[in-house]
Amino acid sequence: MMRSFGKLFFIVFTLFFVYETAAQGTKWKRRIIPNKLKTQLFHSTQSINLPTSETLQKGDLFFEISHRFIPTIKSGSKEFWGFDGPANIRLALGYAFSDNSILTLGRSNLDNNFDLSFKHWLFESKIFSLPVTSSLLIGGSWSSDVNYSYENDFDLFQFYGQLIFNTMIEKKLGIGLVPSYLYNSHIQCETKEYSFTLGSYMQFYFSDMYSFIVEWNPTVTGWREDYNPVSFGFEIETGGHFFKIILTNSSDLNASQFLAGADKKFSDRDLRFGFNIIRIL
Amino acid sequence: MKKLITYIYILIIPISSFASEYQVDRSKESQIKFISDAPIEEFEGITNNIDGYINLPSFEQLDESQLYFEVDLETLDTGIGLRNRHMRENYLETEKFKYTFFEGVFTSIEEVSEKEYNVKVSGSISIHGVVRSISISGTLIKNEKQLTIVTSFEIALTDFEIDVPELMFMKINEIIKIECTIFTKEIE
Repeated sequence: MMRSFGKLFFIVFTLFFVYETAAQGTKWKRRIIPNKLKTQLFHSTQSINLPTSETLQKGDLFFEISHRFIPTIKSGSKEFWGFDGPANIRLALGYAFSDNSILTLGRSNLDNNFDLSFKHWLFESKIFSLPVTSSLLIGGSWSSDVNYSYENDFDLFQFYGQLIFNTMIEKKLGIGLVPSYLYNSHIQCETKEYSFTLGSYMQFYFSDMYSFIVEWNPTVTGWREDYNPVSFGFEIETGGHFFKIILTNSSDLNASQFLAGADKKFSDRDLRFGFNIIRIL
Repeated sequence: MKKLITYIYILIIPISSFASEYQVDRSKESQIKFISDAPIEEFEGITNNIDGYINLPSFEQLDESQLYFEVDLETLDTGIGLRNRHMRENYLETEKFKYTFFEGVFTSIEEVSEKEYNVKVSGSISIHGVVRSISISGTLIKNEKQLTIVTSFEIALTDFEIDVPELMFMKINEIIKIECTIFTKEIE
């Protein structure tokens, strides 16, 4: 009797087990993958002249063509408000060695200046529920052809470092703060000058495509050309391109030249047109 | 009594051996790829982050079958960071709709060879928060305790309320081809 009771129990148990497995329930559970996406605030890797903290995805390349027309808009229709040129031109090629770092080689026709810079992502954080991202940029430049005499070749090298802090309000208003240090600000000077500037910029995104940028790079201490550079303009973003059309009192493009200050006063009739085109591929 | 027990066991054993659930095999690289083939620019996005299961108690009673697969759209990679960002933020809106999924049943399974079957599934697919019914044909490969699904199908972006970008230099075909290879294995 006990034996058959045991068997019966076993049958019931097996039936129950079969019923459970055959039921429509699933043992599958969603596996949560840790979020690997980096916080991205600004769309482009630079605002006008100053860098943003943005880096690219590993393997991405970018190409930049920028112009600053030397005649100011004061020249009027005779020089087509500056567009007739001549212009300072910058060409640059950047490569993302990792998701966190970009190496950029640039060249400007002003003093035949070559510059090599390295930007590295530092961190992201939150301050008062605002996202904050930060990167560090270090670079050096070499003016390979200057039209004056100099004592030794080392005088033509300049070095700079920029610490970048970015934040974004409501995905619309991006704000950047870029304390920058430039060594050998004035290559014609016999003594080595330096400049410490506190760059800042704001960019307002009207839509996915259009935004307005203002940039200001005041020199806090050290050598400066006559004025602090101020620039403003529009950015149009399409596919892999950024077009920035701007007005500025500076004519410089490469960082070591731009950080040293502007030659024109920011009064409404003494500004220059300029543009940046950045293609990411 | 003994006869009864034997009878019950004969009845039970086949049922229990067919009641089986297969889950996505995480040791293998399942892949989902979308292809946008516009006149000037063809590009594709790939992810290996597929999860889900198949319940296939038997090859005969298909109405008892179940399929569920989901993809984390934040992991889709088109090869260019900025393009990924545009895709995530402007078109797929992955902050709101992180997962896309297909849920359905097998509607037919036809044997092609010993291990290979032509299958049809039908159910619903959810992309960008829009759920639509869909029927898909594909190939099922059964290998001991593994089921592999290989299929490709097309979807129209407008069906899922995804804006087709009309920006310069950004060419996307409104019809997107999706290719899937999903490895699953039977769980204990």
